[in-house]
Amino acid sequence: MKKIGQKFTAFFFIVASIALLLMGRSQSALIEQTRAQIFNAFIPAIKVVDFPRGATSSLSDWIRNVAVVFSDNQFLREENANLKRQLTEATELEIDNLRLKNLLNIKDGTLTTITASRIVSDSNSPFFKSMLINSGTNDGVKKGHAVVNEEGVIGRTINVAANASRVLLLNDINSRIPVKFADSGVNVILAGDNSPLQLIEFMPEEEKANIGDLILTSGMGGVFPPDLPVGVVSEFTEFGGIRVNPSVNLNRLNYVSVTEYEIASFPTLIEEPVETPPQNEEVEE
Amino acid sequence: MNISPNKEASIGFNAVIPFLTILMLIFLMVLPYNIPLISDIMPLLTLIGVYYWSVFKPEYLPIWVVFILGGLQDILMGSPLGLMPLLLIVVQQFIFFQGRQFLERDFIFNWFVFVMLVIGFGIMSWGISSLYFRALLDYWDVLGQILMTIAFYPVITWLLGLTRKFVK
Repeated sequence: MKKIGQKFTAFFFIVASIALLLMGRSQSALIEQTRAQIFNAFIPAIKVVDFPRGATSSLSDWIRNVAVVFSDNQFLREENANLKRQLTEATELEIDNLRLKNLLNIKDGTLTTITASRIVSDSNSPFFKSMLINSGTNDGVKKGHAVVNEEGVIGRTINVAANASRVLLLNDINSRIPVKFADSGVNVILAGDNSPLQLIEFMPEEEKANIGDLILTSGMGGVFPPDLPVGVVSEFTEFGGIRVNPSVNLNRLNYVSVTEYEIASFPTLIEEPVETPPQNEEVEE
Repeated sequence: MNISPNKEASIGFNAVIPFLTILMLIFLMVLPYNIPLISDIMPLLTLIGVYYWSVFKPEYLPIWVVFILGGLQDILMGSPLGLMPLLLIVVQQFIFFQGRQFLERDFIFNWFVFVMLVIGFGIMSWGISSLYFRALLDYWDVLGQILMTIAFYPVITWLLGLTRKFVK
């Protein structure tokens, strides 16, 4: 009798697991909120467990940095001189660009950095590519915010709790990012497939891509601001697909920035009332 | 597997140790290691934990605890909620179905059975994930994970063996 009871319990929990899977598939808001509350509660515990790894990693980074400090210093001095020259040129170009945009009445969207966050946990799975960061609604983070670093696009927030958020990485199978070819301006979609290289979708047949082509965000969809570096074309598949190597090294992420992009709002066109001549006006002869 | 009434009464605090050890294994699975390829070959540590406690102290790892731990792993990993509870409960039921045969054999036999289980677990995980995402996921990805889990089995089992001493 007890064995039957145990089998019934097992059957109940198996059915419950399948029910959860089906509910999750339909993007149930309740499930998403519950998930957010639970991962939010466990973030402090994960941080405690991560402390020895974090401390060891910081120490090894410090030792590595000290070892290369002199060579880095020389390199940075040269780079600084180059950057100063480029800054002058860039400022001139920016002024020109602004003037031309004003002439054409083009309005840029506004990009706001909401917060800088630390990565607290990683999926560490071949099938799911996401991570948890230690910023949430308390820091102003909302679902759908773009997550970037100085190298380029990392992903977007998909589930936000009070003090933590889940970030869907650009290499996840569910990730789709509107991008464009920097040279030709052709708009395409960058699709993740859980592999290190992402796939270009909806490439027009008449357009050609070359190895090394730079891929930037197109700004379409309103999640990612335009012209952020995403990656470079790195290989062609045997079926003619285009693979992109991301500009961000997803294996070396420690800190990220959560950004909000607001598309420029245009003044609505108000139709002026058309003046019609009075019908019963007498025509003067 | 039958649990005698007197054993059931003495579960109490002892059941906390299997729960905490598996919880710790979940945390270890989701830390950001910043090591290339680690995310594709992360060993399934919780599977080892559930296997170990289900074989050696099944009375301290009731099915509802496995369900909660599996759900927690899904939430922290970002995997579809329900996937890990389903897989871990199936594994536990398989062990219970086999009964005490595991306990009567040596470590190598246990490891061998575990190899069979982890292969089945990997195939099921790939199949359910493919169905869930309605896409044929790359099955080679799970191979690395299976091999790493098999390789980590002796180490994790040894560590769990140390904690088992605290379970009466």
